[in-house]
Amino acid sequence: MSYFIDLMIIGVSIGMVYALVALGISLIYSGLDIIHFAHGEIYMIGAFVGLTLFQELSLPYVPTLILAVLATGLIGAAIERVFYRRLTRSGGGYTVAGMAMVIAGFGMSIVLQNVAYLIWGPKARPFPVPYGMPLEIGDLALPISYVWIVIAALTFMLALHLVLKKTMIGLAMRAVAYNKDIAYLSGVNVPLMISLTFGVACALGAAAGVLIGPLNYVQVQMGVGIIVKAFAAAVVGGFGSLPGAVLGGLLVGVVESLGAGACNSCGNFKDVYAFILLIVVLMVKPSGILGVSAKIKA
Amino acid sequence: MLEIKDLVGGYGKVRILNGASLRVGAGQIVALLGGNGTGKSTLLKAASGLIKPWSGSITFDGARIDGLRPDAIVKMGLAQVTQGKEAFPGMTVEENLMIGAYTVGDRRKTAASLERVYSYFPVLKEKRRQLSATLSGGQLQMVCIGRGLMSSPRMIMLDEPSAALAPQVVLEIFRTIAQITRDGLTVLMVEQNVRMALLLASYGYVIRDGVIHIEGPADQLIDDENVRLSYLGGTVANREAKL
Repeated sequence: MSYFIDLMIIGVSIGMVYALVALGISLIYSGLDIIHFAHGEIYMIGAFVGLTLFQELSLPYVPTLILAVLATGLIGAAIERVFYRRLTRSGGGYTVAGMAMVIAGFGMSIVLQNVAYLIWGPKARPFPVPYGMPLEIGDLALPISYVWIVIAALTFMLALHLVLKKTMIGLAMRAVAYNKDIAYLSGVNVPLMISLTFGVACALGAAAGVLIGPLNYVQVQMGVGIIVKAFAAAVVGGFGSLPGAVLGGLLVGVVESLGAGACNSCGNFKDVYAFILLIVVLMVKPSGILGVSAKIKA
Repeated sequence: MLEIKDLVGGYGKVRILNGASLRVGAGQIVALLGGNGTGKSTLLKAASGLIKPWSGSITFDGARIDGLRPDAIVKMGLAQVTQGKEAFPGMTVEENLMIGAYTVGDRRKTAASLERVYSYFPVLKEKRRQLSATLSGGQLQMVCIGRGLMSSPRMIMLDEPSAALAPQVVLEIFRTIAQITRDGLTVLMVEQNVRMALLLASYGYVIRDGVIHIEGPADQLIDDENVRLSYLGGTVANREAKL
């Protein structure tokens, strides 16, 4: 029984990390109608930025997390403004530039990997956060790192929810997601909201990177694996739906963890379980669990 | 208040406006009439900044606004309500209205605007917590007009407020537009419902092939045979088509 609970704890916390990346992908998709394939690299850059702040500036972990999230959000917004936005110049905005955007995303993913390689080198680097002893509840030992991931991720999700639902900026971001012309005519600064949407999505990806850092090593290739899982999570939950991204992330994390722990050699096929889940969900409900018609967004 | 001179423009390479000129005085309701594809909506889109005119000028309250971004034009006090009752379906009625006050940036002013919109359209107050996707066509049109009013504009441009609505609802919306004008707002209204529009407006323009074809005081246009004809035959192609 306690083995099962251990697996659940690991699954939920890793699931939270998937959920954060999936949230970013879904936010960009619902806001700009494009699929951002370089989001795994944003997650990787976030982790490296965090590691740099943590080691070079010897900042404590919480300020590291916050600063890395803000910095990577700005980097993401800058990438969108300088590179992706150019592709919308021929008119029609992001929706029309769709395919070019996807290709640009792939290109950006390779560019970012190489930039990271030049800055931080090829070696996998540890992210040594002194978490201390596991939290003991009865005969259950909860590693602090996992508890911390869940609390931090939930905080980011709650903050996103509150911004989107309770503030004028959030309302404007949702309006831009639905219809850019009508948002414009309502007086919304649409280009700024597009930057903001992209920046927030990248900030969430960076949060995931900094949170997973202490569990795994930080390395240039780390974005490649996560993007596939995060896409699976986003699709399982319902592509473009923000609650769906969270639910999908959790499901992928838990299924993966339980699958890997089910038998002695099951761990060898760790990456298979997420996709079995994906295939089953797509067979039963192709729009994803919380999938909604494309017009009900955010 | 709004002056458009020799406006030429269109979408991509397709030329729709061929030198249209019109002016709207403060406090007036002006009707812009014409058949499908004659450039009515394009003219409004140019004035609101959604498309950039190729040549000509648009002046609002003495300042050139052609080439400005839509949000900047809203900020100057010129709002547009588009055709097709486009509300944000996943937002509540109140959220739909609130977004119109994005440029205001003052809670008290926004709350006052909201109350004013609710006083024009009491049914929206009842339904303020409902998603706009659940509203009827007439109520959606009210949300769109209300959203346009939320920025407290000095002038509003309405693109076919009567389109696809029951006659009873059209009457109600037109009465409210008249009320809003009495409260000091200037209105430029694009309409296909020629009679209703000219009854409400003080001055009218008829656009054909992207230029103003006929203009005059509304009570004269309403009996004008040419108005009826040009309304029926929108484009050159339409007029020259023979069965």
